[in-house]
Amino acid sequence: MARLSVPTTARLPSSVRVDPSHPTATKILGRLSRSSLLSIALDWLDDSNLPLAQPYLRRDSDDEEFENEDADDLYPPERSVEAVREIYFSLQARKGSKREVLDRITEGDWRHGLTLYQLAMADLQYLYDHPTSQQWSAYRVVPLKAPRDSDGEEPPEVDKQSLTIPRFHPSTFLKTLQAQVLPDIKAHYNFDAHKSLPLLLLRIFILDSPYNTNLGLQTTTITTTNFDASRTVYIAFPDASPHIFISKPQTTTVSSSTASSIAPGGGGESKSLRTLLLEGIPKALSRPLQRQRFTLQSTKLVTRNLAELVERRGGGRTNHAAGGWSIYADERKRETPLDLVLPSPPLSSELSEEGEGGRRDGGGSKSAGGKRVVPPLMSDQEKREERAAKRARLVARARFGDTAKVGDGKGVERVDVVLEDAFPQGERENVEEEEEERDEGDRAAGRSARGGRKTQVDAALERAEEEDEDDDGRREDQPAGGWRPNVRLTFHGPHVFAGIRQLVECGIIDGERMPGWMTGEEGVTIGAVRNGRIRGHKGSGL
Amino acid sequence: MASTLDDEIEDLQTKVSSLKRQIRIHTSTLITAPSTRLLLTEDEPSTPSLTLPRAGNNNHNNSSSITDSLLKQKLVSQSALQQAHNQQCLYRACAGITTFRARDPDPHAVDGGAILGLRIEVVSRARFLRPYYVLLNRPYPGPEASRHLRVHRHTLPPCIPLAGLAARYLPAPTVGGKSGSSSREDGDAGAARAQQKQDLARFARALRREVVRYHHRLGIIADLKKAAGLGRPRSGEGESPERQLVDISPADAEAKQLTIEWADGRTGRLVMGDDGEILKLVVVGENGRDREAGRDLLGGAVRVEDVVKRLATLV
Repeated sequence: MARLSVPTTARLPSSVRVDPSHPTATKILGRLSRSSLLSIALDWLDDSNLPLAQPYLRRDSDDEEFENEDADDLYPPERSVEAVREIYFSLQARKGSKREVLDRITEGDWRHGLTLYQLAMADLQYLYDHPTSQQWSAYRVVPLKAPRDSDGEEPPEVDKQSLTIPRFHPSTFLKTLQAQVLPDIKAHYNFDAHKSLPLLLLRIFILDSPYNTNLGLQTTTITTTNFDASRTVYIAFPDASPHIFISKPQTTTVSSSTASSIAPGGGGESKSLRTLLLEGIPKALSRPLQRQRFTLQSTKLVTRNLAELVERRGGGRTNHAAGGWSIYADERKRETPLDLVLPSPPLSSELSEEGEGGRRDGGGSKSAGGKRVVPPLMSDQEKREERAAKRARLVARARFGDTAKVGDGKGVERVDVVLEDAFPQGERENVEEEEEERDEGDRAAGRSARGGRKTQVDAALERAEEEDEDDDGRREDQPAGGWRPNVRLTFHGPHVFAGIRQLVECGIIDGERMPGWMTGEEGVTIGAVRNGRIRGHKGSGL
Repeated sequence: MASTLDDEIEDLQTKVSSLKRQIRIHTSTLITAPSTRLLLTEDEPSTPSLTLPRAGNNNHNNSSSITDSLLKQKLVSQSALQQAHNQQCLYRACAGITTFRARDPDPHAVDGGAILGLRIEVVSRARFLRPYYVLLNRPYPGPEASRHLRVHRHTLPPCIPLAGLAARYLPAPTVGGKSGSSSREDGDAGAARAQQKQDLARFARALRREVVRYHHRLGIIADLKKAAGLGRPRSGEGESPERQLVDISPADAEAKQLTIEWADGRTGRLVMGDDGEILKLVVVGENGRDREAGRDLLGGAVRVEDVVKRLATLV
C-alpha cells in the first residue's frame, strides 16, 4: 500500500481497505441476510476473488506470540485460506444468527479491513436479494450530429437520420468516464454481469476525497462527513441495446438521504452527482476521434423493476410493441409461411384456454370446449353475467395481449399521467381517481359513437403538429379549445398495468373504451395525455 | 399403479393431439385440392333452388338438406379462407416483405385506428424465423400530409437503426415552418427533396436489408463458433491446447464486432463491415499486440466466411 497519499485523478483501486467498523462497511454488511453473508464470504474466498479479499491469517513465524497474546481472541486467525473456507462451510451447514457471521467477518477474518471490492460484492448481493431496492430510470443513447463550428459553441443537435447504433465497451467506457470525473472526488468502479438478466451492472462508489489510498477512507484523520457524502450509483447496460439504466444515487448513511432527491441541476457537488454522471456517461460513450458523439435522452420510464426495463428498453422485440401489440412480438409463437394450416384468430383460443392449456390448438375442439364451459342449470341473469365476464376477459386479452399479468414480474409501481384534454362537454367529472378512470372511458364512448368520431379525429390530427414538438420534452400551453382542467393521475401499486387489466377483466373498466395508454403500450411511466394519447409517439420510440 | 395409469393417459393425450394436428394438416390440403373445390362449387347454384320448393312437403328431408347446405356453405367459406391463407403464405415465402392491414384497438387512435403493417420475413439456418413487424399509421392532419405514414409500433430489435431509416425515407410532412430547422441542417438537395416525399418501398427495402444483414452476421458468428469447434467436447490432440480458441462472441449490439479468446489468454477483436467483410482484426497477448496470431487466424481472408472455411479445415 502506498505510504504517500497524493491527490491524483486516478480511480480508487479495488484493493483499498476500509476499516470494518466504519459506518459504511457496517451498513452495507448489516443489511444482508445470514445466508447472503455466508455466500459472499465464500465468494471472497474463491480463488478468483482471493487476491482482492485476503482474510486475516496467522503467519507461522509469530505462532507463539499469538498463542500468548490472543488467548482471549474470540476469532483466532486461521493458518490458511482453506481453513477459513471450512469455517464458513460449517457455518452454512448449521443454523445460527446473522450476528454471529457478521462478527466473524468484521472482527475475525477481515479485522484488518474489507477491500472496496468486497464491499462492492456485498452491495451487489444486496441488490440481487432485493431486486426492487433501486429505482432506475431508462435513458436512450442517441447519436449527435458532428458539430459544424469548430469552436463547439453551438449546442450539438441530435442526428435523427443517423444509422449508427451506439456501441459500448466496458473498459474503454470506464477509462473515459474516469477522465470526466472531477479530480476532487474519487470513485470506485465495479463491473458485474447480472445473474439472471442480460445486463451488465456498473457500481460506482463515490467518495469526496482527493486521495486514492485508504487515507481518504480513514475516519480518524478526516471527519466522517466526507464518507457520509459518499454514495453508490448503479448503471446498468442492457445487452445489445442502446439504452442505459441509471439508479438514483443513494447515500450510504441515513442522515443525508434527503440529498438524494434529485432536482435537475441540483445544488452542491455531492447532490449534483447524478447530473455529473449524466453528463459524463455520453462523453464516455462517445468517440470523438471517430466522429461519433452521443447524448442521453430520457425515455420517461422510471421503475424499480429491472425485468420490466429489460423488456421495454432491452435488446429484444418487445421494446415498442407493448400492451396488445405484444402478440406481434411473441417469440414463442411460430409463424412460418410454410405452415399452411389455417391459423386460428388470436382471440378464438380464449375459450379453450381457460380450463386446460393443452386444448389451445385444434379448431374442432373449440365447440366442444364451449359446450363444456356453460353449466346446464343457469338462470338468464347468470348467463348474461357469464357472457359479460367472458367478453370482459376477451377484451382484456385483446387490449393487453399477453402482457400485464399479475405474476409476470414485469410491473411498474408508479405511473404519472397529466391529462391535457379539454373538459368533456355535458359530462360530469369526478375528482377521485377511480372515478376518473371511468370518466375517461365515458368520454371515449362519446367519441367512438360512429358519427362523432370523425370530427374528433380531425381535431386530433390538426393538433398532431404540436405533438411532434413534444419529443424533446417541451410543453407548450394551449389555451384554445375549451376549458382544460389540470388533471393528474397517479397509479400506484406493485404492478400497475396488471391491476388495470384485472379491473378490465372484472368489468369495472370498460376495456373497449379504455384509452390506449392505460394498457401500458406506450412504455412510459410519466406522460402527458392529449386527445386520449400520450403525446410524442412514445410507443414507436422514434 | 397410479403412475402407470397417468403415463398411459398422458401417452394417449399426446397421441390425440398429434392425430388432431395431422387431421388439420390433411384438412388444409384437402379443402383446397382442385377436386374438392370442384365438388363444392359445381352444384352450389342448384342447392338453394332444390331446398326451397321442397320446404312444404317433407319436414325431415327439409331440415337435413338445410343442414347439408349450411355445412356446404361453411365448407365453401372455409375453403375460401384456406385459399386466401395459402396465397398469403406463398407471398410471404417468396416476397420477403408483405403488408397487411390491422386495427388499433385504442379508441383514441388516429385515423380511425387504421394501421398498415409491414411483415419482414427472415430466414436463418434454413428456417423462417418469426417475422418482424412494423406497424404504420397516418397521424398527420391536412389534405397533403394526411397520406404521410409514421411508424407507430414495431418489433424490430434496437440494433436495427429504424429511427434513422424512418427519418430518411418516411420524413414527417413539412407544415409551416415546423421542420424548417431540420431541413436547414441538411444542406444537400436530396435530403430536402426527401423531406417532402415519403418512400415506403425504399424504406421497406432498406429496413429489410438491415434486418437480413444482421441475421447473416449472427449466422456467420454461429458458423465461426462451429468451425472453431466451440461448444462441443474438445478432443485435445493435434493442436497445442494453448493455441485453441475458447470463445467467439459478438461484442456489440449490431453483431459487427467479435471478441475472440484463446486458451492462453490472448484476446482479439474482429470488426466486420455491414456485409461481413473484415475491416480490422487486433489480437492482444501478454506482451502487447500479437500480429502473428492475427495473421494466423485470417490467413489472407477478406471476408468472415473465408475465416470460417479456414477454421473448418484447421480444426
